[in-house]
Amino acid sequence: MDNSASPAAIQKSIWDGRIPLEIVLAPAESRSYDKTDAYLVSYPRVSYLPSLLPKLRAFFSPYLIEPGSRHHYGWFAFEGVPLKWHYPVGLLFDLYAGADPATKSGFGSDVSRETAAPFPWRLTVHFGDWPAEDLVRLDENGMVMNDAFINSVKEADFLRNGTAKGIMTLSKEDSSGLWKAVENVDLPSFQRISHILLPPPSQPFRNVPIRIFLPLPPDEESGSLKVVQSPLSPSVPSSGVQPSQSISPRSSPGMQPQTIGGVLHTLLPNLFPSRRTPVLAKPVLHGAVLPMSAPIEEVVRSSAYGDGWAYVVVRMMG
Amino acid sequence: MDDGAMACTTLSAFPFLTPDEFDAACRALAERTRSCTAAQLDGGWSSARLVTQAQAQAQALEDEDEDEDPEALVRTNLHPTLQIDYDIVLSPTYQVPVLYFVLRWHNHQGPVGLDAVYQYVVPEQYKQQLQNVGVMGGISFGVGAHTYVLFLSLSQTEKGKTGWYHPESGAPAFFVHPCNTADAMAQVADGQSVTTGTYLLIWLGLVGQSVNLHVPRELVVSDGPSPY
Repeated sequence: MDNSASPAAIQKSIWDGRIPLEIVLAPAESRSYDKTDAYLVSYPRVSYLPSLLPKLRAFFSPYLIEPGSRHHYGWFAFEGVPLKWHYPVGLLFDLYAGADPATKSGFGSDVSRETAAPFPWRLTVHFGDWPAEDLVRLDENGMVMNDAFINSVKEADFLRNGTAKGIMTLSKEDSSGLWKAVENVDLPSFQRISHILLPPPSQPFRNVPIRIFLPLPPDEESGSLKVVQSPLSPSVPSSGVQPSQSISPRSSPGMQPQTIGGVLHTLLPNLFPSRRTPVLAKPVLHGAVLPMSAPIEEVVRSSAYGDGWAYVVVRMMG
Repeated sequence: MDDGAMACTTLSAFPFLTPDEFDAACRALAERTRSCTAAQLDGGWSSARLVTQAQAQAQALEDEDEDEDPEALVRTNLHPTLQIDYDIVLSPTYQVPVLYFVLRWHNHQGPVGLDAVYQYVVPEQYKQQLQNVGVMGGISFGVGAHTYVLFLSLSQTEKGKTGWYHPESGAPAFFVHPCNTADAMAQVADGQSVTTGTYLLIWLGLVGQSVNLHVPRELVVSDGPSPY
């Protein structure tokens, strides 16, 4: 797998990645309380939870105490925490499920890890009592979700190019097509449109769209996630000199690719005292531990979510 | 916090702001606001506060008390009142300030949603312009994980709507899309003359109008330090 995997192969396996979900109806909303059948689905990591709502609403309709509830009243919780629907499910899983991330050596050999794996991931769906202090409301036609996605795409585009002109000039078909491609997990269509947005490989990103999610305190009540984001240039001066804002991102003599470990060490020196070795914490993306030496631009080009961002979750070691 | 020094330095990357420049700009605006009494602040501003990242957590608790504030009670005794809390936050992506806002009803349970924002908050002349932008228009619900640094509060009676909460708490809030802010700033101002002391006033003039946040005259005339 390791060095031989091409960016295209990595992207394909990410889009093929699925998480088994077991979704139960909130007992208080069910005629049969907690005896309601669960909805089981193998769900793509790059997808968003609200896309499941029409099917869930139909599946649970015989049980619903409140028959008038609509699919877009639906929201999800894990262990009582309302899940931010604008994050792809793969990120939510990496944040909350407590699964041990895969490493280079794979999961396969470690039986104890298999038994500890939180599969399927058990979520609760509600169709009432919208947690207005935690979640933005959805609408019947999915416009709110589409809007949130496009805003996120725009941000990534702005970072990569220094303007949001790319996404602004995308045709209406392509712009809605991008969201449809993600909704349908249609990688070929996605690639066709994102190809228009992404600078060619010969042209480095201006900044690299990465957000870093800090570990949640164990007693954390709800969605108050701690996220670190800073302008990240794809390259930094060699020889461990402090990166400076005025340095051109173009690869030039004296520059080297900025790595995941370098970014973590710079932004979170307490959690990452070394830029080469994870000591106290490790970076996780798509359920796998990211190599500290991975160049950040390569990580985003191969492994971003559908909105163009790499969402890296920091997990404490041990 | 209280060094009071009005450092009005020029900006290194106008129309963009670095975190330090944003910090200085917020201090300057807070200072300017402090030098005006509430009575002088037309445009309905009821308070402005500077909140730093470290304070933001405690702030969430303090805001609970805010509702018991005597001034608020006087205003809300008889009439339904809409209070709009605006937060100015630096976008780590666009490197410009973003205006978040939350609507709170007092003495009334109003409808909730973007429609209500257009009904009660957005002045008539901006409606079409804002609604024609993007998927859902120029205002979105957003869930920010940003530091909110300046807190402005505006009260209005007999108007109103809805509630989504502070960016810092990770809770829903409305925001005005920031992706055109830098271009707009560059069009109206000359990078040489804009300082940390004036950036936010110009910015508020551009962005605030569309969501009913007007710069009180007193902030830009004699009382405060000269804007230029």
